[in-house]
Amino acid sequence: MSNKMSRRKFLKVVAGSGVLGFGVMASGCKGKPSGGDGWVSSQYEGKGNFPVNLKGRVAISATNPSIERDDEKCILCGQCVDACKNVMGVYGNYPLPLKQEIACVGCGQCVMQCPSGAITEKSHVRKVLDALDDDTKHVVVQTAPATKVSLGEEFGMPQGTSVGKKMAGALKAAGFDSVFDTCFAADLTIMEEASEFVQRLTKKKDEIPHLTSCCPGWVKYCEYFYPELMHNLSTCKSPQNMLGATIKSFYAEKMGINPSNIVNVSIMPCTAKKFEVGREELEVDGQQDMDYVLTTRELAVLLKHKGIDLNTVAEAEYDSVLGESTGAGRIFGATGGVTEAAVRTAYYLATGSNPPADLLDWKPVRGMQSVKEAVAGIPGVGAVNIAVCHGLENARQLLDGIKTAGSSKWQFIEFMACPGGCIGGGGQPKSMDAVEAKKKRIEAIYKEDTGAAKRCSHDNAEIQSIYKDFFGKPLSEKAEKYLHTTFVNRHDRLFD
Amino acid sequence: MAVLVDITKCIGCEGCTVACKRYNNLNFKAKPRNVKDDGNVELDDNRWTVIQKFHGEKNDKLRFVKKQCLHCKEPACASACFSKAIQKDEKTGAVVYYPDLCVGCRYCLVACPYSIPKYQWNEQFPQVSKCQMCSERVSKGDAPACVSACTTGALMSGDRDELLKKAHEIINSDSRYINHIYGEYEVGGAEWLYISDVPFEDLGFKDVSNVPVTSYTKSYLSKVPGLAACWALFLSGIAFYNYRVDKNRKSHDDDDQDKEG
Repeated sequence: MSNKMSRRKFLKVVAGSGVLGFGVMASGCKGKPSGGDGWVSSQYEGKGNFPVNLKGRVAISATNPSIERDDEKCILCGQCVDACKNVMGVYGNYPLPLKQEIACVGCGQCVMQCPSGAITEKSHVRKVLDALDDDTKHVVVQTAPATKVSLGEEFGMPQGTSVGKKMAGALKAAGFDSVFDTCFAADLTIMEEASEFVQRLTKKKDEIPHLTSCCPGWVKYCEYFYPELMHNLSTCKSPQNMLGATIKSFYAEKMGINPSNIVNVSIMPCTAKKFEVGREELEVDGQQDMDYVLTTRELAVLLKHKGIDLNTVAEAEYDSVLGESTGAGRIFGATGGVTEAAVRTAYYLATGSNPPADLLDWKPVRGMQSVKEAVAGIPGVGAVNIAVCHGLENARQLLDGIKTAGSSKWQFIEFMACPGGCIGGGGQPKSMDAVEAKKKRIEAIYKEDTGAAKRCSHDNAEIQSIYKDFFGKPLSEKAEKYLHTTFVNRHDRLFD
Repeated sequence: MAVLVDITKCIGCEGCTVACKRYNNLNFKAKPRNVKDDGNVELDDNRWTVIQKFHGEKNDKLRFVKKQCLHCKEPACASACFSKAIQKDEKTGAVVYYPDLCVGCRYCLVACPYSIPKYQWNEQFPQVSKCQMCSERVSKGDAPACVSACTTGALMSGDRDELLKKAHEIINSDSRYINHIYGEYEVGGAEWLYISDVPFEDLGFKDVSNVPVTSYTKSYLSKVPGLAACWALFLSGIAFYNYRVDKNRKSHDDDDQDKEG
C-alpha cells in the first residue's frame, strides 16, 4: 500500500477528530483549568478570614527616592509590614482612604527585615562610578560615624570592628579626590545645635523642648505626624548636609574649584538620607548640598566592583581641612550620642570649661533601652531634663504622652528613627542576630570615643579654624545660610 | 464565591498582583504589553490582575484600583465560545478557562465588555489568559490568592448576597461613599463588586449597560442546537432517500440484465 494519504482519507481523519472532539466536549470532559500551578506562602493556605500573624507587604511608590522592590523576589511574608507598623509606627497610623501620597519616611527598616532581599535601597552605585570616571568632576566623599564600625562586616570581619582608616584608604584607592569625615561635620553640628539649645533655654523658651533634627527619618516623621512640633525641631541641618554645604562653599573657595564641578558623595548607614539630599529647602544658592548617598552595603558593592579588599587595603588618614574629628562627633552613630555630645559642648558654652568626667562617660543616655531619661546639671543653666528615644513607634508613644499631658517635662529630646540609632540604620550590613550586631557596633563606637585625644566638639582645631576663617561664630548670618534649614508641613498629605 | 473591593482601603502595595503571579506561575520578567497613556499598565497574558493608579486630572485624591476579570453572572466570553473552553462554574461562580478545549479563535477577547481576556501572542501554542478566581482554591473553600494577601482589608471574599448587604451597609453608614456598587447590576451583575468614594468613571471603570450581553443573542442563538439537529435529520433523510433510489435502480438494472440474459 502506498504511503501517500489520499484526499478522502485525510478528510476522514480531520472530520473524525472533529467529531471526537465535539463528543469529548459534549460529554463534559474539560481537562484542567489554566493557572493554579504555582505556590503561595503557607500563611495564605486556608480560608481567607482567619487571623494571621503577618501578611501582605508595605506600599512602595515608584518615585520613592530611598527604597525600591523587586516583585520577583517578594514572597509576601509580611515582615516589612511588621517593621513599618510595629517598629517605625508608620504603616497603619494614617487614615484611609489615602490623601496625596503613600507615607514613607525612608528609614529602610523594611530593607533590613526583608528575608528575600526584595526590598533594597535605590542604588546610586552606578552614578557614583560614572562620576569617578568623569575627569571634569571633583568627587568628594564623606563617611558617617556608624559606617566605620559596620563596613568590615561586609568583608567578613567580626561585628564591631572599627575600620575608619581602612575605609579612608579604600576610598582613596577607589579614586575619590578627597575623603572627608562626617564626624567633623557632627562636631560642627554640635557647635551650632548646642549654641541654639542654650539660646532657646535662655531666650526662646517657646521653642523648648528642643528636638534634635539630624535624623532624616525622624524629621520626615515629625513633618507627617507632629507638624505642631516643627518649630521645636533644631534648625540645624544634619551633619551630612552641613558638610555638603561647607564643601561646596568653603572648600570650593579654598581650592578654587567651581562648586558645580564638585560631586558630593556620602557613605551613610541610612536610606532616608537619599530622600534628604533631594530636599529643596536644603539648597543654598540654587544648588544641592549633596549629590549621591551610598549606604554601607552599596559602598561594599562599589569597593568589590573596583577590586578593593578592605582586609588588605592600606590604611589612610582623612583629608585635612574637613577631616579632624573628636570623640563627640564619633558617638553620633549610637542612640544617645548626639545628646551626650551636645551636653558636653553646652556645658562648655555655659561655663567656659570642659565638662567633668561623669559627663564624658554619661551612662544614662547610653544603651538600647527604648526611652532613656537623664538630668544634666549645668552650672548657670541649672538642671536640664533630657530624654533619648529611638525607634519611631517609641517616639509616637512619647510624643502622644506629651500631647496628652499638655507640656513636656524634658527640655531636650533626641530622636533617632532606627532602633539603636544610626548603627542600626536601614543601610547597614544585614545580620541574623541584629541585636548582637547593634550591641557590638555601639561598643566599638564608644571605644573610639574614649580612645580619642579630644572628647569635645569645641576642641576640634579644624572646627575652630573654620569658624575663624569662614563662618565667624555659631548662629552667625553665614552659619544660618549654610548650616541651617527649614521644614515642610506634610501633615495634609496624609490627613484631612 | 464573590469578592468585594473597597477602593478606599487600597494603599497600592500591589501584593495582590504578586500573589496572583506566584500562584498562577506567571512570568515576572515579562514586560508590560499594554501601557496606557496615563502610565497605567493594562492586563496581559502575564498580568491577570493589575493595580492602576489614579491621581490628578479628574480628582486630587490618590486612589488605586485593582483590575481583573469580574466573573460576570452571565459571561459574554463563555457564550461566545463555541468549544466550551470558557465555562461558568455554577458552584463557585468563577468563569473558568479550560485550555484543552480551546481552539484559539479568540472570540472571547472580542465578546468581553471589559476587554479582560488576553492572548499569549508570544507562545508557540498560545492560550487565552484571564483571572480564574483561583478556581481550585475557591472550590476547596479558600479565598483567592489575591484576597488572602491583602493587608488592609480592601479585598473581602464571601457569599455574594452577604457581601452586597455589607457593601450597602458601608455605603449607608459613611456619606463619603458613592451610592453605587459597581458589579451589582453591570451587564447582568458580576461576582466582583466595587465600592468607592470617587466616581467610578474617574477611576477607569467602563460605563456599561445593565443588560447582559448574552441576552441580545439568546433569543435566536438558543435555537441553534435544535436547528442543527433538524438540519442533520433532514440531510440524513435525503441521504437515506438517495441511497434507496440508488439501490432500487441498481436492483432494477440487475433484474433487466437477468431478463436479457
